[in-house]
Amino acid sequence: AKDNGSKLISVDPRFTRTSAKADIFAALRSGTDIAFIGGMINHILENNKYHEEYVRLYTNATFLVDPDFKLPGEADGVFSGYNPKTRTYDKSTWKFQTDAAGVVKKDPSMKNPNCVFQLLKKQYSRYTLEKVSEITGTPREDLVNVYDTYSSTGKPDRVGTIMYAMGWTQHTVGTQNIRAMAIAQLLLGNIGMAGGGVNALRGESNVQGSTDHCLLFHILPGYLKTPRASDTTLKDYNEKYTPTTKEPRSANWWGNYPKYSISLLKAFYGENATAMNDFGYSWLPKLDDGQNASWLMIFDQMFRGKFKGFFAWGQNPACSGANANKTRKALAKLDWMVNVNLFDSETGSFWKGPDMNAAEIQTEVFQLPCAASVEKEGSITNSGRWAQWRYKAAEPPGEAKPDAWMMNELYWRVRKLYEKDGGSFPEPVLNLDWNYGKKDEDGKVIEVDIHEVAKEINGYFLEDKEIKGTVYKKGTLVPSFAFLQDDGSTSSGNWLYCASYTEKGNMMARRSKDDPTGMGFYPEWSWCWPVNRRIIYNRASVDAYGNPWNPYKPVIKWTGEKWVGDVPDGGWPPLKNPDGSDNPKSMKAFIMKPSGVAHIFGPGLSDGPFPEHYEPLECPIQENPLSKQYNNPTIKLFYSDPNSAVPEDIFVSCDIRYPYVATTYRVSEHWQTGVMTRHMPWQLEMMPQIFIELSEELGAEKGIKNGDKVKVSSARGNLWAIAVVTKRFKPFKVAGSTIHQVGLPWCYGWEYPEDGSGGDSSNILTPTIGDANTMIPETKTFLVNIEKM
Amino acid sequence: MESNNKIKMWTPATTIMVLIMALGLVLIFYRLISGLGAVTNLNDRFPWGLWIGIDVLGGVAMAAGGFLVAGAVYILNMKKYKPIARAAILNAFFGYLLAATAITLDIGLPWNIWHPIVMWQIHSVMWVVAIHVVLYTSTLATESSPMFFEKFGMEKAARFIGKILIPVVLFGVLLSVLHQSSLGAVYLIATRKLSSFWYNSQIPTLFLLSAIMMGLSMVSFETILSDKFLNHKADPGILSGLARGTLIAAIVFFIAKIWFLAKGPGISAVFNGTMEANMYLLEMIVGVIGPIILLSMKTIRESMKSVFFVDILVISGVLLNRLNVSIFGVYRDQAATGFSYFPTWMEFVVTFAFISFAIVGFKVSVKYLNVFPEAKTEH
Amino acid sequence: MAKGVLIDLTRCIGCRGCQVACKEWNERSAMDTKLDGNFTNPKELNYATYKLIEYREREFYGKPAWDFVMHNCFHCNDPACASVCPVSALKKTEAGPVVYRFDRCIGCRYCMLACPFYIPKYEWHKAVPWVQKCTFCSERIENGVKPACIKACPTGTMFYGEREDVLSEARKRMSDSPGKYVDHIYGEKEAGGTSWMYISSVPFKELGFNMDIPAMELPDLTWKYISKIPAVIGVVLVAGGVSWAITRRNKNAGKEE
Ligand SMILES: Nc1nc2c(c(=O)[nH]1)N[C@H]1C(S)=C(S)[C@@H](COP(=O)(O)OP(=O)(O)OC[C@H]3O[C@@H](n4cnc5c(=O)[nH]c(N)nc54)[C@H](O)[C@@H]3O)O[C@H]1N2
Ligand SMILES: Nc1nc2c(c(=O)[nH]1)N[C@H]1C(S)=C(S)[C@@H](COP(=O)(O)OP(=O)(O)OC[C@H]3O[C@@H](n4cnc5c(=O)[nH]c(N)nc54)[C@H](O)[C@@H]3O)O[C@H]1N2
Ligand code: SF4
Ligand code: SF4
Ligand code: SF4
Ligand code: SF4
Ligand code: SF4
Ligand SMILES: [Mo]
Repeated sequence: AKDNGSKLISVDPRFTRTSAKADIFAALRSGTDIAFIGGMINHILENNKYHEEYVRLYTNATFLVDPDFKLPGEADGVFSGYNPKTRTYDKSTWKFQTDAAGVVKKDPSMKNPNCVFQLLKKQYSRYTLEKVSEITGTPREDLVNVYDTYSSTGKPDRVGTIMYAMGWTQHTVGTQNIRAMAIAQLLLGNIGMAGGGVNALRGESNVQGSTDHCLLFHILPGYLKTPRASDTTLKDYNEKYTPTTKEPRSANWWGNYPKYSISLLKAFYGENATAMNDFGYSWLPKLDDGQNASWLMIFDQMFRGKFKGFFAWGQNPACSGANANKTRKALAKLDWMVNVNLFDSETGSFWKGPDMNAAEIQTEVFQLPCAASVEKEGSITNSGRWAQWRYKAAEPPGEAKPDAWMMNELYWRVRKLYEKDGGSFPEPVLNLDWNYGKKDEDGKVIEVDIHEVAKEINGYFLEDKEIKGTVYKKGTLVPSFAFLQDDGSTSSGNWLYCASYTEKGNMMARRSKDDPTGMGFYPEWSWCWPVNRRIIYNRASVDAYGNPWNPYKPVIKWTGEKWVGDVPDGGWPPLKNPDGSDNPKSMKAFIMKPSGVAHIFGPGLSDGPFPEHYEPLECPIQENPLSKQYNNPTIKLFYSDPNSAVPEDIFVSCDIRYPYVATTYRVSEHWQTGVMTRHMPWQLEMMPQIFIELSEELGAEKGIKNGDKVKVSSARGNLWAIAVVTKRFKPFKVAGSTIHQVGLPWCYGWEYPEDGSGGDSSNILTPTIGDANTMIPETKTFLVNIEKM
Repeated sequence: MESNNKIKMWTPATTIMVLIMALGLVLIFYRLISGLGAVTNLNDRFPWGLWIGIDVLGGVAMAAGGFLVAGAVYILNMKKYKPIARAAILNAFFGYLLAATAITLDIGLPWNIWHPIVMWQIHSVMWVVAIHVVLYTSTLATESSPMFFEKFGMEKAARFIGKILIPVVLFGVLLSVLHQSSLGAVYLIATRKLSSFWYNSQIPTLFLLSAIMMGLSMVSFETILSDKFLNHKADPGILSGLARGTLIAAIVFFIAKIWFLAKGPGISAVFNGTMEANMYLLEMIVGVIGPIILLSMKTIRESMKSVFFVDILVISGVLLNRLNVSIFGVYRDQAATGFSYFPTWMEFVVTFAFISFAIVGFKVSVKYLNVFPEAKTEH
Repeated sequence: MAKGVLIDLTRCIGCRGCQVACKEWNERSAMDTKLDGNFTNPKELNYATYKLIEYREREFYGKPAWDFVMHNCFHCNDPACASVCPVSALKKTEAGPVVYRFDRCIGCRYCMLACPFYIPKYEWHKAVPWVQKCTFCSERIENGVKPACIKACPTGTMFYGEREDVLSEARKRMSDSPGKYVDHIYGEKEAGGTSWMYISSVPFKELGFNMDIPAMELPDLTWKYISKIPAVIGVVLVAGGVSWAITRRNKNAGKEE
């Protein structure tokens, strides 16, 4: 893209390899992105750089908010409705004003002081250049430079895209970091556009796919909700999670929720799922109301002895988990652990690790060697939501088996046990549908055929069905999720992937390099959810008449009777007829939102409808320069209640013993915790040892020279690292004082290289604290001290 | 068997040298089985070290005496030097044996040493040198063969050689002129690498000139030694003659050096205190300026003692020149990259072993062969 | 038709994919390295490292700058290394690569002395040592595939093609974005021209390139000498012969009296 004259901006606490190629580099103190972006929103609004028509058409900027709603500026840094005891919000004031019909009141002029637009202005008017620079430590001129450059994309025919990953997410305000940028992008009209969007660069090659297929505790495949204990019946469940809307011309796509949930149940339990038995809804595992079962919680519970067993399936928590010492101790509390991996790891051999007393550890560890990605067939889904089919390139070595093989065995043996000894609640297992290949005489799948799995994910017609005149035969694959039913006549393991494997064949295996639009969509290269739409919300890339905002890079275009270009977000005609009158047949662009428009005011999140800057849990300054509220008010504190607190969870803030801000990150030479790369001599040759990057100024202050071995310690633990004293880190001027920041990679571990020359995981330092919404650990900002060894 | 029993075989010096040779032999074996890295301090930035610098470059220069005297006696017919002709040639022969073996050991794949003979690469100075060394060593063998033939009473053979001796010598002269200079030419490629104190378009000529100085001094040096230890009366006429030769060569060499110094880094540069400058100064004072001053005095030329001293100056001077070209002249660039080179004790021992071999070999020959014919027929 | 490569340093992100790909394809072992505060590792090309990315930090108007500099054999058009090799174990091929034929090598290491870029490296630790350097993946080229490093590069830093096309591509990039690059194609003239050439937005001197390489084909330096040899032979023989004849005559003349 740079070849076509576009500018690359890198915003990072340190100067990275990416920064080296960027046109603009701006350094900021870890954990202050909301301030940084807040300042940009302010800049955009103050200087009228926003794309007004887009904002009016496609966002809720015009909506009127409850007059009792209060902004942090008016309420000591918290929004209205905060309850310090429960550390939660009563969101009753976070709602829109509605008329008698229940339709949200709007002010198209966006002048009404209660309209979202004005509230936004008010909220970010506090984020002045001075303030922002005081918080982030970013020099003013750098801020201005970034703001000017980026907000220039507010013009209809200009566009900017955001690529973010862990620098934003791994914070107590991670979700709001991204919300902030989403708001900026909406103001600039950069969502739905070619070369626009807020793009998470998903990490592990298939992390997108695994999330789509419910990697996380709170969702079922296709982002359906995990039922809670109180959702006793399927009816309750569907009603609770099926949004309704009074908004005219809102497609409210989630209105189809029951079709997807019931098709999913049919995929799970097949014949056994009938209307009579709620399609087996009662067999689904349920979360307690209010229960959070995310990573940190799991290991906290494990640490407290609440777990008997644990499958470390393709992960290395002993190194990757925040507060690694706690995690490692937690593993020692288990009765048994199964480590499914290509190699042994610090997790698999945790009991041999540093300050572990093997004699006292009772955990029985099973190691299951597994086939690597190239040794088995299947699909991976990338950040662009492309599900791409991959073929098997080689036989697994030795005893290694594909994960699916293990799951099949596991399922079969567990099933046999239930059949033999009954046991409490055998139904979920016994009723499972498991048709993944040829079965032997007593019904066991001999070898999992991954295509069968893929087809089940797409879904079948379970009986002959006539839809819009055409009859779809029983047993045929469903052409797309528009055909899924809530009467049990269809199955789909993941509605989003419905259309990925149809009667036409395996769409994910397509490899055509044709690019008819010249826009780089490559519609027949692999397959993209939903329904092969390459740019979602693409109906926001056109004006009310269906003409592209950016005529040079049209995503879709209304010809008068149909859309051409990418697969549109629904085929409805544009909002307005050529004569300027509203077109009743039209639907708003943001079809997944009940309101049909994008949320600038987002009541959904736990910590506020607008992002607000709060300091990280471990922060070097006395108080939040912006307000009286120090940290994110709704984060779950592990180290608060004295009678449940454990020393492992200790944290500090503004503490002279740990004066330096630290962050952690990756290196291109290693993969994650390094289990796959620390065994590679070539990778180790390039990045042999854990290091800590620090500024020349700090180096001088501490008498640390390049290559020195230094001891890095946090409130929770310490490790050694090789000093990289560099111009690429500079001290920050924050709230009048000088703040030093350092950074370490987290790709090393005690087990390999055997001689320990690599060092250990920097997660030994990181705190047990998570984002208020997602609970992703705040491994990007914490406090440390460094000493020359 | 008949030998010159005035020469005592097992003097302490000889014993020591033989021991060094023994140790050297062991090390050579070690080098062959475990590689250059194990024995030398050579590295990627210093591919050539002591063995090339002294044994090869030095050794060959030392042996220049052979062709000079041979040429003088058999071609220019300067009878005066006949008495030392055989000695000079024999000595050269040992010098080349030494150089040849040194190269063989220094190259990584000694068993391929013969490749250049069949795999021609006329663009390569190294190839030119290789071929010459092979040819010239055999030439020298031929030149010195009569001694052996006589020894073992093979008059026929001896006489035959005698007949063809002159063309053979002429051939030898030719080869020497060529490869003495070729050794210098080897460094022509090292432009910008070799310090301009030594690098210039005429290194070959300079090598030839310095070789002539070295060769003459070497001959007179040996003659005097033989006089002392191998009871062969040295003829003062010969010595002063050689000295004059050295002087002339030295003067020409000096002028050339200054000329290129001026053309290159500039005269003043020698005083800039850098390692290169100092080495250059040392080389010039010891090996060129000093000798010139001294030898220009008749009294000194006439006195065996002082001539002997000057010989030593010239020899070490030229050796130093070879080391400068091969090591010190390229040092700084390399050192900048964090590499450095100082020979291991093993490299030194092997070098000494070679020199010892040359000396002892010569001594033995003198004892058993008729190296100084006239010396015998006299009195 | 000799292949060439244009290394556009402005594109390199320093990921070192090429460095590993090279080792993988050429089955080069890994060194036992340590970290010393700079990420360049190993520190220099060596017998097991044909390609190396060097990391160099600078300050530029008060802001940090980080340069990634690629190192491997330039594959000179008229390579010093090959010209000095007494057995032409090193050889410039039609296709562009300067290849090494271990079965000819005698191990004199003259190539190491000759190469102006210090490229050939030696297996000092071995009893049967070979010279090692980038092969330009000649065997891949022969089979019509790109060199391994170029295939691996995610940014297209290395533009591969016929040397002429590579040169024109370099000029094109320079004219297409004026002011982006310094006006110098390193390798176009250096050492009489090389197959691998660089363009950069940072002056090559600041990137540690040797700016002292003469723009001539280095083998000429020695060839000037070698080509004179026949003449010398003639002169010496004649001179020798004549002088011998003269002295001979004098002798005989003496006899007559
Ligand atoms: N080679 C290699 N590639 C990988 C991975 C790997 O392990 N190795 N991992 C994959 C995975 S799973 C993921 S999730 C992605 C992660 O991809 P990234 O998120 O790019 O990886 P990180 O290096 O963890 O963090 C990125 C940057 O965030 C910066 N940073 C730290 N704190 C802050 C902050 O407060 N604000 C801002 N703006 N920046 C901050 C760090 O300095 C670092 O440079 O990478 C994927 N790709
Ligand atoms: N301090 C700090 N901590 C972090 C982060 C950070 O930025 N800073 N990043 C976080 C992020 S974004 C992530 S994604 C996590 C990653 O945390 P983990 O996923 O625990 O770390 P990995 O090393 O990726 O573990 C994956 C394991 O799967 C194995 N594996 C590879 N292929 C297969 C396969 O086909 N089957 C099976 N069964 N196993 C396989 C690999 O050998 C490897 O051991 O780390 C998190 N931890
Ligand atoms: S760079 Fe050196 S090694 Fe490579 S071809 Fe040129 S001279 Fe030979
Ligand atoms: S070391 Fe081998 S390749 Fe190099 S010059 Fe000598 S013979 Fe040729
Ligand atoms: S061309 Fe081949 S040998 Fe040369 S660096 Fe690239 S991969 Fe290595
Ligand atoms: S692979 Fe390409 S981008 Fe990466 S270091 Fe090598 S040349 Fe640079
Ligand atoms: S950066 Fe590396 S891992 Fe990521 S997609 Fe490119 S090649 Fe693959
Ligand atoms: Mo990740």
